[in-house]
Amino acid sequence: MKSTTRLALVCLIFIAGAARSRGGDGRGFDASVAPILARRCLDCHSGADPKGELDLSRRGAALAGGATGAAIVAGKPDESLLWERVESDEMPPKSPLSKDEKTAIREWIAAGAGWGTDPIDAYQVTTSRRAGRDWWSLQPVRAVAPPEVARADWPRSALDRFVLRKLEAEGLAPQPEADRRTLIRRLRFDLTGLPPTPEEVDAFLDDSAPDAYERLVDRLLAAPDYGVRWARWWLDLARFGESNGFEFDEFRPHAWRYRDWVVDAFNRDLPYNEFARLQLAGDARSPRDPSAVEATGFLVAGAFDSVGQTQISAAMRAVVRSDEMEDYVGTVGQTFLGLTINCARCHDHKFDPIRQTEYYRLASSLGGVRHGERDLSDIDPPALALRREADVLTSKIKEVEAPARLQILARRKQSPDPPPGPIAAWDFDRGPEDRVGALKVNLKEGATIGPEGLRVDGKTGYAESPPLPFELKDRTLETWVKLDNLDQKGGAAISLHASDGSGFDAVVYAEQEPARWMAGSEGFVRTQRVDGPAETEASRRPMQVAITYAADGAIRIFRDGLPYGKSYKSKGPRTFSKGESRLLFGLRHLPPGGNRMLSGTIVRARLYGRALDPAEVAASHGSFSDFVSPEAIARALPPDRRAELDRLNGELTRLKAALAATARKAYVVEPREAGATRVQIRGNPARLGDVVTPGGIAAASGLNADFGLPPDAPEADRRVRLANWITDAKNPLFARVVVNRLWQAHFGAGIVETTSDLGFSGGLPSHPELLDWLANELVARDWSLKAMHRLIVTSAAYRQTSKLNPAALKRDAGDRLLWRKAPSRLEAEMLRDAMLDVAGKLDRKLGGASYFDQTVTKAPGTSALLYADADPVQPGRSRRTLYRAWVRGGRGGLLTAFDCPDPSTTAPRRAVTTTPLQALALLNNALVLHLADACAARLVRDVGDDPALQVERAYRLALGRKPEPAERAQAVAIVAKFGARTLARVLFNSNEFLYVD
Amino acid sequence: MSIDRRGFFSWVGGGLAGAAAASLMLRDGTLQAAVPSESNPACPHFAPKANRVIHICLCGAMSHLDTFDYKPGLIAAHGQALKSSSRPDVFFGQVGRLRRPDWSFRKRGQSGLWISDLFPHLAEAADELTVIRSMVAETSNHTPATFQENSGFRLNGFPALGSWLSYGLGSESDDLPAFVVIPDAREFPPGGAINWSNGFLPARHQGVVVRPRGTPIDDLFPARPLETGADSAARNLLADLNRRHLDDRAGEDALSARIKGYELAARMQTSVPLVTNLKGESKEVLACYGVDRPETADFGRACLIARRMLERGVRFIQLFSGGTFGSPRRNWDGHENLKNNHSEEALRIDRPIAGLLRDLRRKGMLDDTLVLFTTEFGRTPFAQSAADVVGTGRDHNPQGFTVWMAGAGLKHGLAHGSTDEIGWKTAENPVTWPDFHATVLHLLGIDHQKLTFYHNGIQRRLTNVHGEVVKAILA
Repeated sequence: MKSTTRLALVCLIFIAGAARSRGGDGRGFDASVAPILARRCLDCHSGADPKGELDLSRRGAALAGGATGAAIVAGKPDESLLWERVESDEMPPKSPLSKDEKTAIREWIAAGAGWGTDPIDAYQVTTSRRAGRDWWSLQPVRAVAPPEVARADWPRSALDRFVLRKLEAEGLAPQPEADRRTLIRRLRFDLTGLPPTPEEVDAFLDDSAPDAYERLVDRLLAAPDYGVRWARWWLDLARFGESNGFEFDEFRPHAWRYRDWVVDAFNRDLPYNEFARLQLAGDARSPRDPSAVEATGFLVAGAFDSVGQTQISAAMRAVVRSDEMEDYVGTVGQTFLGLTINCARCHDHKFDPIRQTEYYRLASSLGGVRHGERDLSDIDPPALALRREADVLTSKIKEVEAPARLQILARRKQSPDPPPGPIAAWDFDRGPEDRVGALKVNLKEGATIGPEGLRVDGKTGYAESPPLPFELKDRTLETWVKLDNLDQKGGAAISLHASDGSGFDAVVYAEQEPARWMAGSEGFVRTQRVDGPAETEASRRPMQVAITYAADGAIRIFRDGLPYGKSYKSKGPRTFSKGESRLLFGLRHLPPGGNRMLSGTIVRARLYGRALDPAEVAASHGSFSDFVSPEAIARALPPDRRAELDRLNGELTRLKAALAATARKAYVVEPREAGATRVQIRGNPARLGDVVTPGGIAAASGLNADFGLPPDAPEADRRVRLANWITDAKNPLFARVVVNRLWQAHFGAGIVETTSDLGFSGGLPSHPELLDWLANELVARDWSLKAMHRLIVTSAAYRQTSKLNPAALKRDAGDRLLWRKAPSRLEAEMLRDAMLDVAGKLDRKLGGASYFDQTVTKAPGTSALLYADADPVQPGRSRRTLYRAWVRGGRGGLLTAFDCPDPSTTAPRRAVTTTPLQALALLNNALVLHLADACAARLVRDVGDDPALQVERAYRLALGRKPEPAERAQAVAIVAKFGARTLARVLFNSNEFLYVD
Repeated sequence: MSIDRRGFFSWVGGGLAGAAAASLMLRDGTLQAAVPSESNPACPHFAPKANRVIHICLCGAMSHLDTFDYKPGLIAAHGQALKSSSRPDVFFGQVGRLRRPDWSFRKRGQSGLWISDLFPHLAEAADELTVIRSMVAETSNHTPATFQENSGFRLNGFPALGSWLSYGLGSESDDLPAFVVIPDAREFPPGGAINWSNGFLPARHQGVVVRPRGTPIDDLFPARPLETGADSAARNLLADLNRRHLDDRAGEDALSARIKGYELAARMQTSVPLVTNLKGESKEVLACYGVDRPETADFGRACLIARRMLERGVRFIQLFSGGTFGSPRRNWDGHENLKNNHSEEALRIDRPIAGLLRDLRRKGMLDDTLVLFTTEFGRTPFAQSAADVVGTGRDHNPQGFTVWMAGAGLKHGLAHGSTDEIGWKTAENPVTWPDFHATVLHLLGIDHQKLTFYHNGIQRRLTNVHGEVVKAILA
């Protein structure tokens, strides 16, 4: 039908054009020639990089011709290259022009090749090959009155009249209302993702009030389980994963904050427009509201190539960033607008009226978006209160300690512990010279030396010693370094580096774990986790960090005079030959760049030709610092003061624990100012075109796509404007897209089946008026999603039976006209949750860190993590499936078998497949068998040992009904012989359990 | 019912042939026109040369210069500085002196293909090989390059070649999945299951991991022992329950498909362990694959199981050589000492792959089986070391490298394309991954432009908007 309409439209245009003169006047050109050029030529011959350098979209360029010369000689078709190519069917390649199209071109050239609108407006109208600005979904949402229907007694609401009207037009009838048992099971799964309890079923069956159904709906919408079920619906769109993917697939321990935000937003019924705005720009709109910041987890929920982002090649980094931008633009466009804007990264959209420049306007609007982990404790009121308390306590402690400290320092001045003797030493606060030998360092790029010490900028600056004139085997590297910030990753304060690049040993900050010191080495061969505490001080004062490398391979890190974490045995110290190594300061290893650069000030550094012992490290520390150990202070205080100090310290420890417990970190947008965005010709970041300003898609009618910002506007402004444009009540797509998604979630298919694509390549609406009516209702109901759920599930259309009508099936196999309520299979999460619930094992705790149902293995000597299925029967693993750690690399097992989507890609509609692997998983998986056991134990708890009672209870729990007599006898026999767990295993596997009528 | 209509019957009907039948059924309903095109012509689109594939995937980037791309120019220039106007943009930033290969090259077999002594056994099968020496990749970053090697895209979330074939062709048998993966026995490749993801295709097209030892696939048997008789009693009760349920719902295809799924699952419990049980194989066959030697037992077992699975109808089997990029090295990423690294890795696979080719030929299977041997990119002709040093390792090189194919529909004993004098950049007939994939699909009777799946506005293809079949290597 669709293509027929389009064809008719094309013909109409064509005939209209033909009727007039095809000659040189502008109107004739616009009507008859421009559409042909637009449809058949401009996909290649227009834009920033037209094929053969021939641009046919503009008069001047078209007449000037391309690489092979002038294309059009006005009045002389036979001398025109354009006509020659077209006539010989050389162009367009593969599908030559029709006879009529050719005639139009020839006559146009013959008549003088006059031009109309310049450049040709290729997007004016929809053609048989692409959508124009007149495409249905881009038009304003219309106010529609519900239609008249013949069967006036069936509709319960206006919604039903739209549905019935279509059915009647097709000669189909709806099914009657389903029985209550069916309805409560349907509603319970749909609204909360869990089965009804037998008690709920009974209560509903016994409720004779006329509004029993509506009250049930309200009760379920008010349950916290509602948010848990619907969050999964949204996270499928958000390509929400809790690990990076790619090579390392690092876990994101704080990604769950966004998941919790979604659950909470649904439970609070946050208006959908605000829901969207916060996810796009919550941090920019409310920078002091931690919850608003957490909402931006949406933008960065996708995969992240941490290796690619830090690789040395700037050209390749730009490609990775460019891919990252496509992920943002694509996800935002599809999720909120149902537009595949990402298809316009390399060229104008092939099917929808979206220019390549518009892709880059969107990219500019999102140009400041970066993946990051933010510590929101600074803006979190409870954490702030605790921190203030801790500050008060700390100053009290200092007061109590003061006399002892002064006493100790005075004594230390009189008789200092002699520091050990280094073989090279630098006091950078005094200059670049070596205080022992002649190893004066050279400053590179952005490195400077001043009264503070050696400044390295984290970008290009570092210092390098001459080749070291000694062989080094066992040794100690020591440095005093103040960091510019604690969030940096991977830089080194000091690195012993082989000149041929074959190896290094370095004092590295936060390369593998945030805020931790590490003994870096080539390929991590001598590197292990030491589990030291997170650095909190080194941004405030120079911190002594030393690493000792003993001859037997033992490596030990020291911080602030004390051992840091645990020591470990490496396979032995690497030998750095005489004259073939250097020391680097501020750089992990050569070459400079990437995440290898440190940002901070190195005050002094020491190199020792042996591994110092802890006392020596402490002595060295003491010689430069007035740090006094807590133990020494305690010893020096009188008993009563010591008791007071112990009490205060105890309180502080408790406070710090509380602070740590409330630390609010989140994986969210960590924005950076972006500068101006330029078009990338053919999507290639090495070929830059014009600068663009932040903006939206002009074809979305009824609102202004220009954000009124300069190209280099602050990134926060750009996202705020983008969020406003997307969520504008006049935006024709925003409301349509989400009500269509709700429809799909309740009926199995959307009014438009391609819910993330309302463009030309997508489907057409089965009920266009209904779609607009629903969109208007959403706005009228203050964007309340709960109100829309209520509207849909209280309709007569939704309450139908699922009974199959063969005649209707033949007419409309997909049930798009809703001649019944099609049955649905439980989603993987619902299946697992339902089994847990029936077994009496479901842990209903809401929110918090994710549980793991995989083992996580850190591959030796790399940051890569590998995830594998683990025994699912562990404490903490019986929470709702939403709360599992959704890592990207660990797919498999029961959930994948039941069509859980790959979190690396958006899943606007889950496939529902049937495979033998599902049967195997549901029959044999450890979780299923465990829950069958648990269910049996529950049956004993609930009804005692009588098999007949157990059978009845099991059926009611799992299927919401009593067994039929024939079933009962068979089931009782099995329970008597094999125990109730065998029955539970059967029920979990049954079609009746897995499908909802 | 919102069921994937391609998903009714396990793996066989899962092919597009099944889909075509289903969509014929759908066309009776006149109201289906609004669905985006599912009008793929049934696969295969034309007579296939190959019916099944073994893909050996080397993680870490095997050096073409030390294996299949003989470069006298590099040997002559050993120790010299690279003569290039611009500094190479290599992954680790170091450009040392040019380094000759660590192994001698010889002309092998009738064809005279050049293969180095690193692969002495494989070299004996030279006349079976179709070598492409002019591959180019888009990135010098391992994992995106590996994703591209397998899915055509540098990113997460795109279906792997095996998933596309599962979708397009399905399995030849109902007892086994269409797409099987056997990871390196030491470790999964980096990214784990992302490498064999179904991406946006339905989840049943994800690769199924088969373990060469122990229970071959997850959940094949109950996780704990059941009481004697309990399993069959449960199945009988389940069958009755499902039948009664279906009686009230005649015509619900999804429900009958699930019932069939349980029957197939029971068959798999018999058939799958048979495939991985090598007891019936003769001593000679085990020796041929190197199963009897400790250094080759892992990969030999994987190769032999792969052959046995192909015989029983699996469409696509992927064998990984190499794990993550850690230390000590356990894949082909020879940055530090290429000689040691490649010696260790090649030792594990050389004899098994040679044995596999010999065995497939002996059984006549090579006539309609395709063997692929690929790596994500090659390595640099200059050492990874300081500028004035001939270091012992090589860095990543996406600008020119080598892969090979063997088996059905190919010109054998042929080397296609070439790199420059020193083996750095492709000089003649560059072949991209989309070209490579288009060629593989072509050999399987599939037009790469027609194997599509609608996802978010695009009829997606394995080859994106690229890909030219490499006709020069076709028989």
